Amino acid sequence: MTNSDIIKITLNLVVVYLIGGLLLAGVYAKTSPIMYRNAIIEKDRALKKMLPEADKVEKLGDWKIHEKAAEYFVAKKGDKTIGYIIQSFGKGYSSYINVLIAVAPDFKVLKIDILSHAETPGLGDEIETPEFKGQFVGKSVEQIRLVKTETKENIQAITGVTISSRAVTDDAVKNGLTFLIKTIKGGA
Amino acid sequence: MSQQKKISYKELFLNGIVKENTIFKLALSLCPAIAVTSSLRNGFLMGVAVMFVQVMVNITISLMRSFIHPRIRLPIFMLVISGWVTITDMSMAAFAPDAYKQMGLYIQLIVAFASILARAEMFASKNNVMPSMFDGLGMGIGFMFALTVISFFRELLGKGALWGVSILNAKPLLIMVLPAGGFFAVGILMALFNWIDKRYISSTTTHH
Repeated sequence: MTNSDIIKITLNLVVVYLIGGLLLAGVYAKTSPIMYRNAIIEKDRALKKMLPEADKVEKLGDWKIHEKAAEYFVAKKGDKTIGYIIQSFGKGYSSYINVLIAVAPDFKVLKIDILSHAETPGLGDEIETPEFKGQFVGKSVEQIRLVKTETKENIQAITGVTISSRAVTDDAVKNGLTFLIKTIKGGA
Repeated sequence: MSQQKKISYKELFLNGIVKENTIFKLALSLCPAIAVTSSLRNGFLMGVAVMFVQVMVNITISLMRSFIHPRIRLPIFMLVISGWVTITDMSMAAFAPDAYKQMGLYIQLIVAFASILARAEMFASKNNVMPSMFDGLGMGIGFMFALTVISFFRELLGKGALWGVSILNAKPLLIMVLPAGGFFAVGILMALFNWIDKRYISSTTTHH
């Protein structure tokens, strides 16, 4: 290798790194505010979607499940409390499933939603279907229990997706509701 | 590829789709072909992302080819590839957040695609910009085509749905959405593709 080779190689690398770095910095500067905004919009939208009739959703506090930080909120219309929203996690097949649960003041489930998860694509993500999530509506905490047979009383597991179904039902929703009831009833 | 005779753009373009189809003929990049193809939407979006990276990498390498020192051409190729993949990754995260949530990991894995490095080394570093672009376009569309076909059958048979919309009201073959079913789907479709190619496409051209 001659000296001119070394100079050329150095020049090659410097130029490629410089142009590449500048290009990436430019794209990052353009996209990162959008990503940040997306995250905030998504959270607001998710909370709004849980209780559309609420005109104010206030954070009540933080709690921890599976060592993960989660939040809970009170939803108000005017001065009247119309429900609570709690974020919870369930330990699934290959990830922690991030769930939002909205309950009425009597702690019956109004709605649940799956915020994020990394379950088996195409299989575990069946927990996001309205058919599965809809089963929770109107259930009290005692009724939140996963069964494998057809049921109106409890929650029916999705065929082939038992572990993810259980994580949502017996872990995230059940524990979230239990905590919420204990905190609200105990504190108020 | 490096024959003296002039190759038309059409031939270059078709080369990547039929004769040297990344998945069905070269059997490269099979990991993503199995990992993301359990639903049509993901398969298609992955194909689009790969096509974009392949075309941009081919153009960049072709433009730089007289400047790159042969001794460090592979590190330079890798830098160019990872640069374009990162740009794709960030743009997708910003402008298609829903799809990105499911595919982010695989987008970053495009860096390690053998097929993209192979085209940079075998074609783009030896040819002009226009031929390189058409080569990248052909290769990219060939890959996208393969992923779309595989995910079409996997989602239809495994979930009875297409693009997330349930159409069969049943799950005829649940195994198709599992990794094992991915191997079945790729294998069977590969055989079918080669059979059709032998029987109807290659036999009508003068190459054989």
